[in-house]
This record gives sequence, C-alpha cells and structure tokens, in this order.
Amino acid sequence: MRKQHPIGKGDPQKIPSQQSRFPLVTTWGGRFIDRRIKNAPTMADNFPGKLEELPFKGIMTWNGIVVRHEDADIPSLTYAYLREARKISCGECSVCMIGLDRVIGIFRKFIEGTGTIQDLKEIEEIAYQVSVNGKCYFGRSAALVPVADAIKHFRQDFLALITGKRVLINRGYEFAVTAPCIEACPASLPITAYIEKIKNFQFRESLELIRLQCILPGVIGRTCTHPCETACIRQKIDESLSIRLLKRAAADEDLKEGASSLPLPRKEKPEKVCIIGAGPAGLAAAYHLRLFGYGVTIFEGLSAMGGMAAVGIPDYRLPKEVLFHETNLIKRMGVDVFLNRGVDLLKWDDLKEQGFKALFLSVGAHRGGDMGLAGENDLVDGFEQGIDFLRKVQERCSDIKPVRKVFILGGGNVAIDCARSCLRLGFSHVEILYRRSRKEMPALPEEIDEALKEGVKIRYLTAPLRVKSKWGRLEGLECVKMKLGDPDHTGRRKPVPVAGSSFTLKADKVIAATGQEVDASFLTEQDRKKLLRGNKVWADPLTCQTDLEGVFAGGDCVTGPATLIEALGMGNRAARSIDAYLQGKPYRPQNFFAGIDTSLQRNDGFLPTKQAVRVRLLPESRRMGDFIEVEAGFTRNEAMEEARRCLRCYRLMVWEVDKPKEEQPKGRGRGT
Amino acid sequence: MIRIHIDDQTVETKGGGSILTEAGKLHIRIPTLCYHESLSPFGACRLCVVEVKQGRRWDLTTSCNTEIVQGMIVRTDSPEIRRSRKAAAELLYYKYPRTRAIRDIAERLGVRVTQTKEDARECILCGLCVRACQEIVGVNALRFEDRGPDHPGEPPRIGYLGDSCICCGACAFICPTGYIRMEPVGADRRMIWERVFEMGACRVCGKKFAPLAQLEYLSRRSDIPLAQVMTCITCREAGIPASVVDEKDWVSMHQHR
Repeated sequence: MRKQHPIGKGDPQKIPSQQSRFPLVTTWGGRFIDRRIKNAPTMADNFPGKLEELPFKGIMTWNGIVVRHEDADIPSLTYAYLREARKISCGECSVCMIGLDRVIGIFRKFIEGTGTIQDLKEIEEIAYQVSVNGKCYFGRSAALVPVADAIKHFRQDFLALITGKRVLINRGYEFAVTAPCIEACPASLPITAYIEKIKNFQFRESLELIRLQCILPGVIGRTCTHPCETACIRQKIDESLSIRLLKRAAADEDLKEGASSLPLPRKEKPEKVCIIGAGPAGLAAAYHLRLFGYGVTIFEGLSAMGGMAAVGIPDYRLPKEVLFHETNLIKRMGVDVFLNRGVDLLKWDDLKEQGFKALFLSVGAHRGGDMGLAGENDLVDGFEQGIDFLRKVQERCSDIKPVRKVFILGGGNVAIDCARSCLRLGFSHVEILYRRSRKEMPALPEEIDEALKEGVKIRYLTAPLRVKSKWGRLEGLECVKMKLGDPDHTGRRKPVPVAGSSFTLKADKVIAATGQEVDASFLTEQDRKKLLRGNKVWADPLTCQTDLEGVFAGGDCVTGPATLIEALGMGNRAARSIDAYLQGKPYRPQNFFAGIDTSLQRNDGFLPTKQAVRVRLLPESRRMGDFIEVEAGFTRNEAMEEARRCLRCYRLMVWEVDKPKEEQPKGRGRGT
Repeated sequence: MIRIHIDDQTVETKGGGSILTEAGKLHIRIPTLCYHESLSPFGACRLCVVEVKQGRRWDLTTSCNTEIVQGMIVRTDSPEIRRSRKAAAELLYYKYPRTRAIRDIAERLGVRVTQTKEDARECILCGLCVRACQEIVGVNALRFEDRGPDHPGEPPRIGYLGDSCICCGACAFICPTGYIRMEPVGADRRMIWERVFEMGACRVCGKKFAPLAQLEYLSRRSDIPLAQVMTCITCREAGIPASVVDEKDWVSMHQHR
C-alpha cells in the first residue's frame, strides 16, 4: 500500500538547506495561510507535524496543500496528484472517476495549449460536485478537494498555463496512500483494499492481500483486538465496520473453497536464519524470510506452533484446527520446525558455527507475573497463574477438577478467557475481581458482554490483599474495596483502597491473570546484560535489532504481553530488517503519515446510515460443558453486505521531491 | 409510525423504506438509473439526489439508499438538486456519449445533447446485472473487477464467471443500455457473455425450451428431480404420461405442488 520512496534509503533526516522549517503557503484543513504576505498569522498549528521530515517542495494531500519552497510548481503537482487519485477512484459512482477523467482531460488540453478560462471554471464545478455528491469518502474528501484549493489559491499559475507562460513539467513526484484503519493497525494490513475485494466477490484476491501483512488471517480474524475498528470513520455516522470479521470471512471462504497454499520463494538464498519461538512474531518472520529465499529453522518449546495463540486462547474463541492449518501452511513452504525443542541455554556463537547468519528471538512472555500479594509464592494448592491455567485447558483439559467457587484476579482478556473456560469446565461459581470499574477494564467489550451473558460474575473495585491458606491448601482471599482516584500515566483513573474495608472471600480456587513476564532463564549471564532492559528484551522499535550483532527480537518478549497483531507486525518488520542486514543494505521503514491525523477530512456531508451486519453467535445454552466456537463468522453474502459499508477513507499524499538536480528520481508524473 | 416531510407534504408511514419509495407514493418523480425496485439500492448513478435538512443546512443525499427516520425533512427539488443531477448526468454523457440510454436521461436533466441515431450500448457500470445475479438468481456469476488501487490504469468492468452462470438471462433483461445480450446460436443453443449454452429438450414433446444449466440449477435448488424439471410448461399443463416420468417422480412433484 505504501510506496517506499528512494530518499528513504538514504538519510531521511537531512533536509536540504535552502528549505525553511515553516511552510510558505498552506491550505491544510481548508484554512488558507500565505506567509509570502506581510503579517500573515503563524502557522505552527496549521502544519501537520511530521511533514517537516519529508523532503518536499510542495505537497498535495487529501486535506489541503502545503508549499515549502517558492520554486514549487503547483499546476504540475496538481496533474501528478490527479493521476494518482484516478488510480484509487473505483468508478462505482458516476461522478468521481468520470470527474477525474474529465479533469485530467482538461489538463491534457493545457499541455496541448488549447486551455481556456472556461476550463478552469469547469474544473471547479466538477470538484464541487464530486465533493458534495461522491458516494464514498475518497470521492467526497480527497479526490478533487486539494485540486479545488489549488485553482482557488494559485489561480495566477493556472492562468499562466492557459496563456502559455507556463508549461506542465515533470518535477519528480512521490506518493503515499493510507487510511485511518491502516494507520491504526500495528501490522499495517491493506484493510481498505481487501475490503474492496470482498465487496466485489473476490475472496481469494482479498486473502492474497491480507497475507501480504498477516500470515494468520483465520487466527487474527477471530482473536484480534481490532484497533482498526476503533479508528473507523464510519462510527461517526452509525457504527464501525466489522473489519475483523471480514478478514475472517476471507480466510473461511478459502477453507471452504479448498484451502489455497502459500507462495514459494522465487529464488533460494544461501544464508540461514534461526528463529526461537513459533508464536505469531516468529511465524510471520519465518514466512517472509522464507519468501525472500532464506533457509529458516524454528525451535519451539511447546508441542505445537502458534505460541500464545496455541496455549493462551481457548477453543471456543479459536478452534485449533484453524490455527494448525495456517501454521502448517508456513511449514509447507520449507521452513524447518522443531517442536518440543525449547532452548535451555542460548549460545549464539554455536549457532553461528552451524551456519546461521541471523537469529530472531520471539520467545514470548509465558510466565505469570507476581502480583505482590501476601502469600502468593507459598505454593498454595488452588492458587494458579492464569496463563498456566489456560495452557492446562489446552493441553490436559481432563486433569482439571471443577471446584465450587473460583475467583479470577484481573480485568484483561486473559482473565475473561480463564473465567469463560472455568464455566465450560463446570465450575459452579465463577467471579472476576477487578480493582477498577467496567469502563477501565482492558478486555474487549464484546468479550466481557459474552462472559456476563454466560454467567460470569464481575466484582468491580475490589483488590486482593492476601492469599489465605492452611497446610498448603487454599482457604480464601482477603480483599479490600477500592475507589477511583486521579488518572495515572495511562489515563485511566487510579484505584485507591478504601480504609477499613477489607473482607475475606471463601474460595476453592484463585486464578491470577494480571500479567505475564518474559522467562529469560535461557540466556547466559553475559547475554542477559546485553539483551535485557528491565525484564524484557530490548530491540530497536523500527529495525527489531538488539545490541547483539546479528540478533533480532520481536513479539511479547520485547513489548511485554501485547496482542497477536502487534507481535505479527513486529515479525513482518523483523523479516525485512533481517533481509536488509543480510544483504548489507540499510533498513529504515518510513511511515509518511506518522504524526498526521488521518481522521481529518473536509466535506463529510450526509451519508445514509446502515447498521453493521450482526454476526450469529452460539446460543448460551449450548456453550456450557463444551468448547464449541461461539462466533459463527459471516457467510459470503453477509460479508459482502458488510464490506459495502466501507466508506473508503483513502488518504493520498503526492509531493514534489526536493532533491539536487542530478539525483532527480524518475517520477511517475508525466508532462510536456 | 414515522412522520416525515417531503416537499411540504407530511407523510405518516410504517418506516423501513427509503426516501425514494416514500416520494414515489406521493407521485413525486425522481430520476434514477441504477435503481430497481426488486434489488437492493446501490447509490451509484447519483441522479436520484435529494436534499435532507441537517440543522439549518440542506445536505445532498441519494434518495434510493437513504432510509427515512422520524422527523426527516426532505425536499426533492431545488436549484442545488437540479444542478447536481445535471452535473452527474453531464459526466455520464461525457463518458458514454454514444449510448442512447445515457443520452435520453441526460437530455431530460437539462444537458445539451447532440442528437444522433447511434447507440453504442456501452456498459455504464450501474451494477444492476451484478445485483440481479446475486440477489435474485443467487449464483454470483457476475462481479465488478479491476476496481480500487490495485488495478491502476485498468478501467473497471463487469467480470463474468462462466462456471457459475446458468444462462438465465436476468442480467440481459435488466441491463438498461443493452450492453448484455442473450442470443440464440442456431436452433438449440443460446449465447450470453460470449459463452454458448446447450438447451435442454422437453422429455415429453422434445422441444428445446430452456438452457440445461438453468434446469440443473433449478433442480438442485428445489430438490425436484431433474427429469421432472425437464418438462416444458405446455406439456406440464397437459399432464404428463406415466411412460415418461416414473412413479416416484410423480409423487414428489405433487407434493411440491
């Protein structure tokens, strides 16, 4: 989706000297400021922060124009913008694509020298009509909005075009495309594009696009925390698109149609890469490295691939057939996977001698963290870590003897997973204790709703103090009531104990699901000093490189317990970074939209409302005693109907590159 | 009951309908190109725009896919509406000047049109055929292709999935420009989307009366044995001799009736 531009490979920090820090002219957000005129207002607030780092003379974006250099050629830039916009326009409604075609046609007249002032008026009328009558948000707020700005505020330049004092020339242009959902996604999935494919009944093509950035579509389609949906512009009108379920539909449809396989590398490369841990990060890295042609070997301590997805997410949320199908596909590309082969002590030098040129650490965070409770480390029978419990549910479900009263500590997804699993195993009273209120609860709201429907009780504003036991057997839990104080650094209100409110709950089992840590015991003392910061592995957030030469790291062991999609995104990035490292090329991914608010747009207008398609769920009465998947997923037609709700909020930026003449790249913008 | 206001008329209605259908009940004519009452609205042609009051402002919206809500104030005619309809028609005319269906509607909306007898019958991407195939026939043999940022340069078009097609001709029937045509090939075959289909012969009189693929589809969908479906309507009304259809088929056919 995003186009790497050649400058990114050099030094992106260096801005050519003649360029000033503030722009000369901007129409950002529709506010016109011209600093060439005396006493113009300052425009610090009218300049999207990170554009500063981009070496451009003039940039045309969905939200306006920013000019930094007097030399910028706006009519030529407009022509370049139009040609990029035309590629995004889908042609579904009659105004946007034909409108763009018509305007491009008029620009051709300018090139031929047959343009008139009447033509400028026509462009303005088309731009206006597309912005009020376009079907999607690309048409309304991006297709011709900046073009109208250009003609309005740089009229002299366009008049010069008509009189022949100016010609359209190619100055060398770069472009970048995104959407608010793509920006919110930790793995930058091409969301708008794959939704478009589903809308047009091209499920296979959709899956191919998803797999570019997400190698576990069925898994992510079931379990993702979907930050994309939180960013979805549609919720301003009615409700967010069910992006997660659409991804799942593409994966389900593929299984129904006979499961496609993954592409194979075009060319083999001699270098070998070692990956420790077959979780989402490790698998994503393995897939991309294999596709680049490297030999990949994975060592995994568990008996199955998938990491947290295999042992941390119960079957009613993620049936393991789906996970194993997708992980096996990666294996079938020629990745060597050794299961049940955890690394006891990592010796990078030995691995190097075996011929590995790079190492990727993705061991995850599988050890339950201490809560700081009195008595929690006394090895009490009946007190358990959430993550250990979930693993037992996965591996030795029949070993768990249901007891009467179980309390689960914590408010995250692990706590909810534990609680719902307990109910399914036959525990009669399942209660979650959480120290803040529902509003602050980090678990997914839909998961909390389902848990409550199934009969899980949640006691808010309650914190445990002490695990009470007798002869090593759990007796109960001493708790204290909390109230909410001032917001802390996460923005959530901090719970404060209410004095004298402690009380004891009788409990048969307590599960602590408050956090996980990295188990770093496999590192040598020396490596620990180099690799760890605090109790996590440190890696460069962009390149995933650690302080040890040739060693990269990603996933939960770097971020601490996070989401599958974050791990997957890091795996993708690590693979590209390892490739650059092995090829001896610099790697520095650039996010052109970082620091720019992509939710901004002009001309929202009125849009017909349409509620999201409701996904069918298993009736509560059939859920107990079994781990049948709760969510049914969309059918083909439901998915297509939901995909039609996408507003296509594509955000396009095209800029005139500011570079010394001899380095001028071959642009795509063509002129006379 | 939902009360809405359309052009100074107050309407009380059950709700669930669109502005277009409600206006239709009041005999208000709104031009459309991509709308068909049997299909889900698409909002592609942008000719059916009306204005909805939002606070003090009037906002344009397509009437076919805007559901009515309590207290909605709508007007179906204003200079702004006429301007937008004309602009959309003008763009369509710019793109498809040689197609008569476009010329006709553009002329009605005030676009100056060059009169000619020519009719190129181009595909105008209204999507009626795609929707008919999906929603009424239920086979999904048509879809839009080459849309969105992955197909730079390619003009969007209707893609045809021959394996799913049953040659029912619904797309040809609904096509507003005549771009899709179903034609006989000789006496016993029929062609649509450049694919030739065999016609099935009636088991009684032997007349080739419907495409085989369509009869097979009907049989599959309705669970009626193919032998029974393969009887033309004339013979069916006349009663079917037992020698042609075996007894079991008879029983199930009567059950279905």
